[in-house]
Amino acid sequence: MLEVEHLSCGYGSGDIVKDVSFSVRRGECLGILGPNGCGKTTLLRGIAGVLPVRGRVAVCGREIRTMRPKERGQAVAVLAQMSGSYFSYTVYETVLLGRYAHGRRGLFSAPDREDRLAAEESLERVGLLQLRDRLITELSGGQLQRVFLARTFAQAPRVILLDEPTNHLDLKYQVELVGALREWAADGERCVVGVLHDLNLAFSFADTALLMEDGKVQSFGPAKETDAELLSRVYGMDVGGYMRAALARWEKGEKAHAAVQKPV
Amino acid sequence: MAGKARLRFLLLCAAAVAAVVLAVGVGSVSVPPGEILAALASRFTGAPGAADETSFALIWELRLPRVLLAFCTGAALSVGGTVMQSVLQNPLASPFGLGVSAGAGLGAALVIVSGAAGVLGMLLLPTVSFVFGLVTVLLVIGIASRIDRRLSNVTIVLTGLVVSLFCSAVMDLLATLSPTYAQRIGLWQMGSFSMRSWGGVYVLFPALVLCTLLFLRFSREMDILSFGEEQAETMGVDTRRCKGLLLSIVAVLTGLSVAFAGIIGFVDLIAPHVVRRLFGSAHRRVIPAAAVFGGTFMVLCDLAARTLTPPREIPIGAITALLGAPFFLYLFFAGRKR
Repeated sequence: MLEVEHLSCGYGSGDIVKDVSFSVRRGECLGILGPNGCGKTTLLRGIAGVLPVRGRVAVCGREIRTMRPKERGQAVAVLAQMSGSYFSYTVYETVLLGRYAHGRRGLFSAPDREDRLAAEESLERVGLLQLRDRLITELSGGQLQRVFLARTFAQAPRVILLDEPTNHLDLKYQVELVGALREWAADGERCVVGVLHDLNLAFSFADTALLMEDGKVQSFGPAKETDAELLSRVYGMDVGGYMRAALARWEKGEKAHAAVQKPV
Repeated sequence: MAGKARLRFLLLCAAAVAAVVLAVGVGSVSVPPGEILAALASRFTGAPGAADETSFALIWELRLPRVLLAFCTGAALSVGGTVMQSVLQNPLASPFGLGVSAGAGLGAALVIVSGAAGVLGMLLLPTVSFVFGLVTVLLVIGIASRIDRRLSNVTIVLTGLVVSLFCSAVMDLLATLSPTYAQRIGLWQMGSFSMRSWGGVYVLFPALVLCTLLFLRFSREMDILSFGEEQAETMGVDTRRCKGLLLSIVAVLTGLSVAFAGIIGFVDLIAPHVVRRLFGSAHRRVIPAAAVFGGTFMVLCDLAARTLTPPREIPIGAITALLGAPFFLYLFFAGRKR
């Protein structure tokens, strides 16, 4: 569904992403892993067509760079780290903007019935229909990110790229967001490619994992089979040990908690 | 939201008409509203109206062109400010930040100092200052794109600021070196609608209507752009084309208004904020509302400028800030308490 072949890109002096190849099948969620500065975000920007690239990026067999801006918007959408807006749009107006890529060519093309239906459906999907007339400047961080998720759904792309959309979100919202995206991907001719910093979350999201180091691919395959030793080497720390310690701490805490709860 | 907004817009339009009638009527000689309407009616129907000869001349030759020019200028600056703030995603951006006004001012100062203004008069000064304004914008964009190939907003804003300050400095230098013209240059720097005939209205009004329609055509693009450029690009907007086109239209519109009325600050910065408070941020509502609000505000400011301290006129640029700053603060503090 999404094919990336020998992709290299960067910002002026030298490549940051070097000769990266992978593909994502329909219904699949791919997690991109790697330490800070390894080129994950740059890779996403290259795929999204925001950065000039060498190599080939194709969605459903059509190369991204040959598409017109609106066609590209129908193929790929990006959900990024939440950024508040100074401008006070209502929730519904914000989500409706996601339909832009589906607008017909014309002098004053306003959103039509289909657009409005899609926007409402997306709002319902993220559970925000009752907030549709609220101003986005009055929402909490978790609500705002759900508005942007709804806008991304309304854009109805083939591929959604995630650039750390869970930053600054509570655990509950993080889990919900990832769940909603997995559900969306499973629902047809679609796939999701995500950069998520939290490894726990990343592994609960990803069907397949792409591990990057210094702009190059270190491993690519089913997420479950990611080599723990390789992961530790790339991240420069004992990832498995850290996870086990966290789990042990948690279990001890649960036991202590249970002890306190016992009737006197 | 939509119903309330429509009502508010109608009220705003009514206020605009009231302000225009008031401004035409009030002055050293006052004309009652009935006579103003009669004069207008007789002008358009050709029938001899109730208005007598002198008040007809007063209304038609002096007051009305001045009031309408003030309206068009206020509207043009406000619409330009709205577009700039959205395209550059910066609530502090204004058309003057592109260097339009400073460049146009420099052009005007050069014409004044050369003494050519007296000979070729009315036509030369606006033309030269308009051309200078546009050249300055091209210079700003040119330098910014040399520094930063992606032409990011911060680069544009910074370059605009630097070039503006440079042009202003040259203008001050010219004023200091030729004291005979210093006062005229100073007056021009603060803006004025005195000594204006229908010429300005005939140029600015069609330009205003045309540019506003063009901006409305791009209202969805501007909505999306105000969330950030890269996001806009991934949502299917041709950002480079939109940005270039919108900034060029703003430059032309601002250049024209500066050419006829001089440099008038504040309204371009403030009007968009006021309008967004009342109408939300969607540009298909904000753009027309900004035009009507900015125009009305400018008409009232000009009325104050010529009636507060007769027979002297206060520079309009001073009035916009004098009236505008407290009004703006009131609006925002009133909103906060809510």
